[in-house]
This record gives sequence, C-alpha cells and structure tokens, in this order.
Amino acid sequence: MAMCIVVIAKENYPLYIRSTPTEYTLKFYYMVHTSLDVVDEISAMGKALVYQRELYLGLFYPTEDYKVYGYMTSSKVKFVMVVDSSNTALIFQKLHNSYTDVMCNPFYNPGDRIQSRAFDNTVTLMMIQVC
Amino acid sequence: MSVPDYMQCAEDHQTLLVVVQPVGIVSEENFFRIYRRICAVSQLSVRDSQRALFIRYRHHYPPENNEWGDLQTHRKVVGLITITDCFSAKDWPQTFEKFHVQKEIYGATLYDSRLFVFGLQGDVAEQPRPDVAFYPSYEDCDSVEKRIEDFIESLFIVLESKRLDRATDKSGDKIPLLCVPFEKKDFVGLDTDSRHYKKRCQGRMRKHVGDLCLQAGMLQDALVHYHMSVELLRSVNDFLWLGAALEGLCSASVIHHYPGGTGGKTGARRLQGSSLPSEAANRHRPGAQEVLIDPGALTTNGINPDTSTEIGRTKNCLSPEDIIDKYKEAISYYSKYKNAGVIELEACVKAVRVLAIQKRGMEASEFLQNAVYINLRQLSEEEKIQRYSILSELYELIGFHRKSAFFKRVAAMQCVAPSIAEPGWRACYKLLLETLPGYSLSLDPKDFNKGTHRGWAAVQMRLLHELVYASRRMGNPALSVRHLSFLLQTMLDFLSDQEKKDVTQSLENYTSKCPGTMELITLPDGLTLPPVPFTKLPIVRCVKLLSLPASLRPQKVKSLLGQNMSIKSPFIYSPIIAHTRGEEHGKKIDFQWVQGDVCEVQLMVYNPMPFELRVENMGLLTSGVEFESLPAALSLPAESGLYPVTLVGVPQTTGMITVNGYHTTVFGVFSDCLLDNLPGVKTSGSTVEVIPALPRLQISTSLPRSAHSLQPSSGDEISTNVSVQLYNGETQQLTITLENIGLEPLEQLEVTSKLLTTKEKLYGDLLSWRLEETLVQFPLQPGKVAIFTINIKAKLDFSCQENLLQDLSDDGISVSGFPLSSPFRQVVRPRVENRPTNPAESSKTGDLSHLKTLEAILNFKYSGGPGQVDGYYRNLALGLHVEVEPSVFFTRVSTLPATSTRQCHLLLDVFNSTEHELTVCARSNAELVLHAGECQRLAIQVDKFDFESVPEPPGEKGQFASPKQLEEERQEACGLEISSKLDIRWRIPSLKRSGEASVEGLLNQLVLEHLQLAPLQWDVLVDGQLCDCEVATACQVGDPVSLEVRLTNRSPRSVGPFALTVVPFQDHQNGVHNYNLHDVISFVGSSTFYLDAVQPSGQSACLGALLFLYTGDFFLHIRFHEDSKSKELPPSWFCLPSVHLRALEAQA
Repeated sequence: MAMCIVVIAKENYPLYIRSTPTEYTLKFYYMVHTSLDVVDEISAMGKALVYQRELYLGLFYPTEDYKVYGYMTSSKVKFVMVVDSSNTALIFQKLHNSYTDVMCNPFYNPGDRIQSRAFDNTVTLMMIQVC
Repeated sequence: MSVPDYMQCAEDHQTLLVVVQPVGIVSEENFFRIYRRICAVSQLSVRDSQRALFIRYRHHYPPENNEWGDLQTHRKVVGLITITDCFSAKDWPQTFEKFHVQKEIYGATLYDSRLFVFGLQGDVAEQPRPDVAFYPSYEDCDSVEKRIEDFIESLFIVLESKRLDRATDKSGDKIPLLCVPFEKKDFVGLDTDSRHYKKRCQGRMRKHVGDLCLQAGMLQDALVHYHMSVELLRSVNDFLWLGAALEGLCSASVIHHYPGGTGGKTGARRLQGSSLPSEAANRHRPGAQEVLIDPGALTTNGINPDTSTEIGRTKNCLSPEDIIDKYKEAISYYSKYKNAGVIELEACVKAVRVLAIQKRGMEASEFLQNAVYINLRQLSEEEKIQRYSILSELYELIGFHRKSAFFKRVAAMQCVAPSIAEPGWRACYKLLLETLPGYSLSLDPKDFNKGTHRGWAAVQMRLLHELVYASRRMGNPALSVRHLSFLLQTMLDFLSDQEKKDVTQSLENYTSKCPGTMELITLPDGLTLPPVPFTKLPIVRCVKLLSLPASLRPQKVKSLLGQNMSIKSPFIYSPIIAHTRGEEHGKKIDFQWVQGDVCEVQLMVYNPMPFELRVENMGLLTSGVEFESLPAALSLPAESGLYPVTLVGVPQTTGMITVNGYHTTVFGVFSDCLLDNLPGVKTSGSTVEVIPALPRLQISTSLPRSAHSLQPSSGDEISTNVSVQLYNGETQQLTITLENIGLEPLEQLEVTSKLLTTKEKLYGDLLSWRLEETLVQFPLQPGKVAIFTINIKAKLDFSCQENLLQDLSDDGISVSGFPLSSPFRQVVRPRVENRPTNPAESSKTGDLSHLKTLEAILNFKYSGGPGQVDGYYRNLALGLHVEVEPSVFFTRVSTLPATSTRQCHLLLDVFNSTEHELTVCARSNAELVLHAGECQRLAIQVDKFDFESVPEPPGEKGQFASPKQLEEERQEACGLEISSKLDIRWRIPSLKRSGEASVEGLLNQLVLEHLQLAPLQWDVLVDGQLCDCEVATACQVGDPVSLEVRLTNRSPRSVGPFALTVVPFQDHQNGVHNYNLHDVISFVGSSTFYLDAVQPSGQSACLGALLFLYTGDFFLHIRFHEDSKSKELPPSWFCLPSVHLRALEAQA
C-alpha cells in the first residue's frame, strides 16, 4: 500500500503531497524530502544519458518499515512514493498518465500546486488498491 | 571496543597513535596550548631515509580500544606524552609517580613515553633524563617541537625494529596467534599444531606486518604483505582478520591513489604540514622503490619468501573501483561479528570518505545507509549526538544536503532529548541553524518576496518551530521573536487557521517580554538574522498619496507662461515635452504638500488572518524632508476585504518628500515595510513636493450651514455651504468671520464670486461686497479674526409666470407683457419640459409660491508667510445656496401717454404672491397696500427715457455679439435704467422685510418705445415761449403770434427733410373738432413749414406766424406730410406736442 505519494516540480518543490493520514505525516515528508538527494545524484550521474534513461528510477532506499521509490519524467518532474512493498513501476506509469492529464488542463498553471480532483482520485485509488 | 572514532579515514592506517594527557592539575588552557604545539608535529621524514612517519595525537583514548591494536596497529597507543605542572621539588616524586601510573594504562603497547614538566626549576630539573623534559613555564618552552621530533624518532626506531623483527621471523619458529579481545576464549583448547591453525597464525601475522610496514612508510611492502595475508586468511575462513587485511589493502591503495588525503579537515591539515602534496606523493614512491630494489627483507621472509613475482606497483595496488569492492567485502566480513561493530562502522566511514573523493554519491549513500543500521551497544546521549552529526557531515560530504540536514536535525533533537538531565539548547540551536541550507531555507525574508513561496513548507515550518523553541529555551527571547516573526511572515500561506492563531498567540507572549525590533541580530558565530518586517500583516495593496483638501490645497500664482510650461522651450506645445513630462509624472505627483500641514497617505490594506488584527503605531517612513509621522492604530476585522487606512504626518521642512514605506507594530513586533520590497503594490508615485508654510483661513458665517451641497459639476470643491432664504428683490447681509487658524500671518486676501449657471434670469449682482474695510485689518496674525460683509441681493424676474398669465388675461394682445413671440416665453417653455424627471418639482412650477434657487460660490484666495514668497496661495470656497421666494409680480404692463410728450404713465398690475400683507410704493409715492393674493394697478408717471444716453456696455462685447444679442443687451440696459428710475419698493410689515421690485424683463419692445424719448426732439415755441403742457398760451387777437418749430436731432443719423402743416382746430369738448377756421385764423405766410435735413446732434428751426381774428381757445395740430416722412423711422419719433392757444381780446 502506498503510504505517501508526492509530485515534485523540476525545481524540487512539491506540487502535490498526499499521505495516509497518520501522525507520521511529517516523517513521510522528511523521507521524501531526503530522497531528493538520491534523485539529484541520479540525474547528475545520468546527464548524458538522459534520453536513454528509463523514467522509472526504482528503489531509492529502504527504511525500517517502508521503501521509497521514484520516477522521473523527461521534464524532470518527479514522482516519489513511499510504499511498504510492491512493484511500483506500473503505478508510476498510471500516475504519469494522470499527471499528463493535469498538464493538459488549459487552466492549470504549470508550477502551481495540483488541485485536480481527477488526479486526487487516481492517487486515492492507488493508496487503497496497491497492496 | 565500543567507542567508534567517526573521524577516521583511510590514511589513519599509516599513522602512529600517540596519546597526550595531562597529569595532576593542569589548566585546560595551558594543556591545549602545549597540545596544539605538539599536534603541529604530525609528519616527520625520518633521518636520511625518505620514508615519512605520520603521527596521530589524541588527548583522550579509551584503553579498551587499545586492546584491538593487534588487529589494526594504528589503533595501538605507541606513545604517551604527559604534561604536568610541578612547582616545587618536593612534589616532584609524586608527579613522577603519577606519570608511571599513566604509563601503566597503555603499558602493554607503548613504545616510548615522555613527561613534560612545567614550572619546576632547580636541582631536579638539572638532572638530564631521557624521558622527562623540564620547562620553567608554559611561555618559555621553545624546545617542545624538538623534543617531540626526538620522541617520534625514538618511536620510529622501535617500530622499525618490530617490523624487521616480525618480518624476519623464521618459519621454524612458532608464530604466535594474534587475536582480538573477544576471540581469546574461543581459542582455548584448540589444536595449535594443526595446519589450519598455523595458516591462521601466518595470515594474521602477515597482516600485522603489513600494518607495521604501512606505518613505517613502506607502502609497497605493506601491499605485498596484505595481499599474502588475504590469500592465507581466505583459505582458513578467518573472516574478521580477512576483513582487516582487505581493509588494510584498501587503505594502502587509498594512500597511494589519493595522497591529498580523504579525511577532509585532517587532510587539509596534512596539506599544510607538507607544503607540496604532490611532491610528498612522489616521495612515497621512490621510498617504495628503494625497498623494492632491496627486497632482501622480503626474501628472508619465512612464511612465503617468493614475493618477488608479486612485486609490481600497479598489480599490487588496487584500482579505485576495486578499493570500493574490497571495502564492501571487508565490511560484509566484519558484519559477521557483533563485537566488531565499531570496526565495521569505521570501515563504512572510511569507505564513504573515499567515495566522496571519487564523487560516487549513490554508492557512498549505500555505505552510509549501512552505517546507520549498525547497531552498537546502548549509546550514551552524547555518543548519539556525535553519531548523528557525523552522519550529517558525511552526507554533506557526498552532496546529500537534505539527508545531511535531516541527520543534523536529529542530532539537534538529541541534544535536548528528554532523557538528558541538562539539555543543550545552545548546541541544539546551533545544529538547527546548520540544517537551514539543507531545507533550502534562508532567514532573510527578502528571499520570500518573489511571488508565492515554493518549498517544502511542512518541513520548513517544523524546523522554524524548532528554532523558535530552541532559542526560547536558550534564553534568547529576541531570537525566538525573530524566528517566530519569520515563520509568520513567510509561511503565512501554509498555516492553517488554528496554526495562525497559535503562532500569533505565542508571538504575543514572547513580545510581551521582548518586543520585536527592526535591528539585525548577530549570532555569536557570525550569522546575522535580518529583520522581518510584517509586510503581510496586514497586506498592503495600494499606496496613494493624497492631496490636501481643496480648501487647503496650495495653488501657484500663474506666471505669464503658465506654470507647467517649460521655460526652456520656445514652443507652446510640443509632443516631446509632453512625453518627458509624462515620465516624470510616474515618480513625482503633481500636487504639493504644505509644510506644517497634516498630509495624508491612503493605504488599501487587507487582513489575511482569520481573526481581528490589531495594528498599532502605524505610521509613514519618509525621506527627503523632516517629517513628523502621526501614527495610527487600527483594528482590521477577520479576513477583511480591502480596507482603506489613512496615515497622516506633518512635514516640518520643505523640499521633495518621498514616502518609502510604513512602519507598524503587530503582535508586539515593530516592522518597517519598504514599498520597494512589497510585491504587488500599486502606487501612483511616492514623491511629492513640500512647499513653505501657508496660513490657514477658517470662515464662519452668520447664516446656517446648508445640508444642500452644490452640484458636483461645479468643479470647485466647496468646504462649507450656507443657505439663505430671500424674497424676490430682497437684500440681506451676510457676515463672514475670517479667522486665521494657521501659524503664519495672513497677508493677502482676494475674494471672487462665481454664480452657478441657472435657468433663472437674474437681474443685478447677486453678491456685492466691499473688501477694503476688511483689508484694513490685514495682515491677520495667527488666531486673529476679521469680519467681512457681503450683500446678497436676489432680484429675479418679477413678471408673472405663464399660468398666471392665462389666469389673469384672456386677451393676449392687450396684455403687453408677453406677446407670444417673446423670447422669454421661449425660455420658460422648455424649462418645464426639461424637468419631467422630478415630478414633485415640475408640479411645483405651476405653483405661484414656487421657490427658485440660486447658487453661488465665493472664493477666498489668501496667502501669507513663506508660502507667499514662493508664489503660492490657497483657495477657500464657500458655497452659497439662496432660495428665492416670490414677493410681488407684475402681471401686466402698459403705458398711457401723459399730457407732456416728455412723460408718460406706466401702468403696472401688481400681484402679491406672498401670504402676508404687502405694501408697494414707487418713487416714494404713496404706498399701495396689497393683501395676500391681491392684484392692484399701480400707475406711475415717469419721464420718458433717453435710451441713447445709456452707456454702452464695454465695447469689445459688441464686436463679437450678434445683432440680436446686441439688441437684447440694449434692452436689458434699458430695463435697468427704467427700474432704477422707477425705484419700486415693497415691504412686508408683518415680517419686517422689504425689498425692491424691478420691471426689467417685463418691458417689451412696445412698452419700451412708449417710454422712450424720441431721438427727434420737437419743440414748438409760440411767441417765443416753449409750449408743451396743457397750459394754454395766451395771445392777443389781432396781433400776429410767431410760431417756431424747432427740431433737435439726437439720433445717430441725419433725418429729414420734413414738411409740416399746421392745422388749427377748436375742440368743442363734446368730441367734435371744428377744423373749419379759415375765417377765424389766418396765417401770416404759409401754413406749411419746411425743415431741412438735420445732421446728427444738429438743430434746425422754421418760423411762421398766426393771426387770430377772434377770441377763443384754439389748438394747433402740426401734421407731417405723408410723403416727406421717412418710412423707416418709428412713428413715435414724430410726436409733436399739441399747442393750446387762447386768443384774448386785445387790450386797447
């Protein structure tokens, strides 16, 4: 089950944060925030290979209870997910599709917080379904 | 071994560990002074050999770590330096004893030791001892460094001997088994003769020799030994030692590859020690080569003499990639042993440092991740802090700033963990500050000005909260106020309503003790916290400088060119000038403020908080002119919309003033908000000119103030409105009290009036005054009062209105007042139609008592003081609202000729439209009493008027006006003349009010012609006597009576010639005129006169004579010949007086 799904802009600030409402919300934030280090490192490493690189970044690091997975679109928007265990590549694909829909909305201003209800629903579904 | 050394790095494997410790009571300051000097000697090239020796100094080293010295020799304390104070020889033995006790602690591993005694002088100090050095004081100890060098050399000798000793151990000898403390009991009872055991002993010894070689500066030898050791240990599955051997291999390779060092700070220190690191690196290799050239030591090695095949630098040395692999392997072996946790942890740290140099962050993070999970025994709080800090540092090293910040924050929290008896808030705060960059948070609010904040608000807010709390617990309320202000200012958008309340609540609590200031807070470590102005509490949307109210607004006395005109340009208008002026306008506002007068700036503010916001001490920040700001306090309702706030102040000097911003006190925090830094503020310029002080005039009048304000279209802004009610024709005095309420003397006053356009026709001036009497009292000093009197005379049309006409007259023609073609009527008509929107009023028009309204503006232009010198004045406008009630009406006007041609009767039907009894009199004649609503005829005998003599209005008017206008003007002038002659006055005794009535406007052409004195003046003289009136002129029968007809031409053109015939007749008084008088009267000469053409202002006369044959009353009718009379001249011009003659019996 996904515990926390975050969309992060190119400039590394969050566009969308959603986590299971527990008292550990802040913990998830810290987790995702620090995982950006890994994303930075990966993008720094693979700068030359940016077109060949797979969007799915895989496991960032495991913590005691969760695993942090990442995904980066070609426009350097990142999806980070905190899960307890699962194959996340497919979920990221879905998330990416939904994000693309958000971007297609002419009323959405790129760089703003995502407030789309459709996107919200997709995320909610992921948080329930993925087991 | 339980205490990890997080500072370890791979190079430490080649160092010798020396412990420097104080004995007895040595002040910390003195100890560290010596300690630092000792530490400076960290690298030594030994004697003639090119090998370098590195020393690692510790002032504290747990003895249990020393026990692991066999596994890795750099953990072994090989030297001890003791520093002590000793002031008398008596204490000396005791001190020396202590030194020995100290030596006991590390006794087993020490190669050598030294005692530095400070303060002791005399006999004892004279005795030379190899291991003791005496210094008189901490200041006087120049030879410390030398001593240390000697000491290191002695260490080297021991090391070298040990190395050679171990390396040359004969294979026949039994090789002792080296082991770490926890292994000791495992080997009890093991078969020491087994091949397995022997191999194990050999492998471990090889590893040990490798360590010694490395320490002794023989890198290549060390590599060879490590390689062999790895082979041996791998075959016997001695994992712990295999790990150690691999790590040794890694260390040696690292030292080879990265001569600059991997340990960060320690590396830097080393760089200083050996000025040229590359050179130092080069020095290693020749040293190694030297050994290789002489491999005797190796060949004599009993374990495996054949190392020569393995000698090859590149082969022995690991590649950078291999180093990491080997580290991984070593760590995986270490991890098999719970007791080797510290070793594993340190290996991880070392590997991370190497990876950091290689810039392989991802792999480094894996090592670190592993290090995080290495479970040591229960750590003390201090150790935890150290552990987290070091993790943070390492993450920083590999470029993982966020992770680093995370751990630093954890370390900070650890400093104040509840289990700690004395929480280190100061340390916590310091650590928290260091995490700021990791969370991309700066403490400068300016960084947040650009648009919406984008960041990890939740995380940042948490950090700020922690900073606030830590600084408060540190006992620095100013700091916590600053942080809390910052939190509120920058994170406002992300705070929930409840959080906003909480934050402001605590902010108010803090500021009650320590108000927030605008000063820069400088922390002891040099970090400065810029002030946090609350630009969002409230949010300012619009700043507008307001001009002074109209009555106080200064105006420039216009120069000939007009003040806006640039003097430099010869053009009246140029688009280029207009353009540049437009740009100037962007900054400067085109009105002025006046020194000493309260000036206003309007802000549109918005309260974003979910509760009422109290803003205190809100004032303006200005520059350029000394400005006394008068702060305001306001209270904004929760989430208010835009709310106007006016800030006021008084400029004290003159010049250009710029409004830079405003200051507020919100929740006890002082803020100076500069407009430049505010996002999204609309401002229409912020610079305005302050002109010198001007006086202030206050006027009060004898009349009541009017609620009725003048039409806005009037343009002028009226400060006061007064109203008065008058009867038509009435005059009333208005007393105006002028008071100088300013601080400057009022020196100049000018009064003008302006009548607002009205549909009513007004005769005469509504307002008249004599300023001279008032000006006598000038200059008016501040606080002084002057009186000014104005006459208000309301003189409207006295003709009755249309409906009255209809009521009173059926015969439109006989009512000479209003022929249908009269322009007056045309004016009245549309007026009724134009105002259908106001039914109440339009219905009133029919009402006789309908009030008419006149409005006028009195402008008082005044100046004085320094402002006058600069050519400024002020204009105070007084609005005057006059309601005119009708008094009398003239319902019809007609004329009757009087007996004299020079006179006529004017008949006026006067109607009293008031509700009171009214008396009317004309030319001081008897009064005519009119009851309310009564109409009576008033007959006035008037002299005919000579309208030509009425002065023409100023000539220029005539040039532009159309003939019709000219005619109208002329008619008006006539009306005025007539009115003044008539002087009709009315009085209402019951109200004690009186006024005049004017016939202007109701005299039409016809009446006027009757009233007009013909420009041709005909005089008939009988017997030399002027004969005009009805009085008969006497003459005698039989005598010829001379008759003279004289014509005076006053018209502007020549008239004539005329032919006149004198026709005598007798009036029988019964309507019968007897013209048949040929036998009664005879003419002497012709009965027909002839007059030549008369030039303007010329005179002409003709003479004749009559002879009466009988007595009787005769009349002479002088008739014009039809043909001679100019058709174009009006008939009234030819009105000759009738001549009445009485022929009497001739006296005998």
